Amino acid sequence: MERILLLIRDRIVAGDEEGTKKSVGEALVSGLEPRKIMEHAMMAAMEDVGERFSRNEAFIPELIIAAAAMQEGMEVLKPRLAAGERGNGLIVLGTVYGDIHSIGKNLVRMCMEGAGFEVVDLGEDLKTQAFVEAYEKHEPDILGLSALLSSTMQHMKEVINAVRAIDPSALIMVGGAPVTADYAQEISASGYAPNAFEAALKAKELLA
Amino acid sequence: MTGRERMFEAFARREPDRVPVWEMAFNEESIIKLGAFFTDDLPPMKFAQQMTTEEKIKLLSTLFTVVRQLELDGITSIAILETETVDDDHVRDGWGRIMRVSEEGEATAVAGPVSGPSDLKGLKPYHPQQSELLMLMAAKGNFGDEIAQVMVQPGPFRESWMLLGSMEKLLYFYMKDPAFVHDLARLATDFILEITDMSADLGADIVALDGDLAFSQTTLMSPAQYEEFILPYHKEITQRAHERDLLIFKHSDGNMAPILDGIVEAGFDGFHPVQPQCMDIGEVKERYGDRLCILGNIDCTYLLPFGSEEEVDRTVRETISKAAPGGGYVVSSSNSIHPGCKPENYIAMVKAARRYGEYPIEARA
Repeated sequence: MERILLLIRDRIVAGDEEGTKKSVGEALVSGLEPRKIMEHAMMAAMEDVGERFSRNEAFIPELIIAAAAMQEGMEVLKPRLAAGERGNGLIVLGTVYGDIHSIGKNLVRMCMEGAGFEVVDLGEDLKTQAFVEAYEKHEPDILGLSALLSSTMQHMKEVINAVRAIDPSALIMVGGAPVTADYAQEISASGYAPNAFEAALKAKELLA
Repeated sequence: MTGRERMFEAFARREPDRVPVWEMAFNEESIIKLGAFFTDDLPPMKFAQQMTTEEKIKLLSTLFTVVRQLELDGITSIAILETETVDDDHVRDGWGRIMRVSEEGEATAVAGPVSGPSDLKGLKPYHPQQSELLMLMAAKGNFGDEIAQVMVQPGPFRESWMLLGSMEKLLYFYMKDPAFVHDLARLATDFILEITDMSADLGADIVALDGDLAFSQTTLMSPAQYEEFILPYHKEITQRAHERDLLIFKHSDGNMAPILDGIVEAGFDGFHPVQPQCMDIGEVKERYGDRLCILGNIDCTYLLPFGSEEEVDRTVRETISKAAPGGGYVVSSSNSIHPGCKPENYIAMVKAARRYGEYPIEARA
């Protein structure tokens, strides 16, 4: 692999925002294809941190600084990516009604972006209708629902039913502290993951 | 034995006459639904922040009725910080933090007065007012020394991230600016120490140090980061609590296993709530039962909201048999009695604790 790609990867892993931006710029000047930079350096870096996070060898602070560096790199890269090249798919994410917690959803957003998806983050405490409208507007490949509380988790089923009423084949992933694989199955979610990094892997699997 | 004595015995890891029962928190809706079992004189169903003073007093008196009728061994008070209304969903507190209010749980900061190190100079530390501990005064006035007075206090991690308005931002600065993280923790800890002194002055017995440090999989920060950024402040707080004759335990949801040694080292007397989805209470009892009182573990994610009364009864029996022998266990839910919990199931939990909690208790395989 080109040295510059390895350098970008290392800088993202280290959370070096300025360095990442600079190296992505240099890689583009050297003539490397933007898509190659994204896949071989940037997504590879997030995969590296994510895997260590899944093994409890890296913790949320490491994940957050890597995502911040990746974000900086993407700012340089995005204008150079051709239309249709801008990601592995579109994810629309939000936290269900009654739930004001954001960190879980935000980590999923970071990991999804790190896996090359475009993400529209709808925010927190969203009524079912807001998810339906966002689904119709953005036509995402996957809709992601988050909840931290077992009381609010129950709104996930309402959202799934409402979205499937307009698109029976809608792919909808669920996650959050109280959610389990069994619960996801019970409410007919298309996918579930126990942490943010595995959510990104699951999204890739669903769209493969 | 009084409820207070029962709680003290459990914290001393000795066997009281029976396993104490206590709860960290009840939401407004839960208080009103449970209150309906015992009285018709109930406040309207709305957030405390939206209640009139008369309605708030009625809510508090409903909570006292529930605690008395169910013969709980302790009551939990919270500091209700003065706030001003920003809009229907948000209030601003004395630090200048914008808090989002929620019917499903405690208010959470969505914006803070600090966004980076340069904002610290202009920040005026907020000093708690005794009137903000009105709930403790009312609980002490109502129950005296009959039951344990537990006071919830914010922890340095939570207070620090609330000053930034976002947990992610604080965790980002863990890597980018350690000195700034310490400055925030210093501000937070000084505030917490003031509340600790006030709690002691007003007759609290036990401090519950709030603020989650973990999620289902593991801790939010590495054990090394806990040691660097939180442990020294935890030590200061437990030391002050002990100087003021208060017992103190750490509350955190999630899998706290990676830093439980640190919780012991910090000087905490107990740990709550041993969330059953991610920690095994038998293992926690075996490893830490000689150093920490264990509180909680009765699942409020699935069991109390969706389970049957029979399932609740069985779970309480099994949990007591694992955690209570030798003392050092207090029955409570795995977080709080939130609006999703069936009130019948909570009552079944308390009754089961009485049925199976008489000492001596035999450990069951």
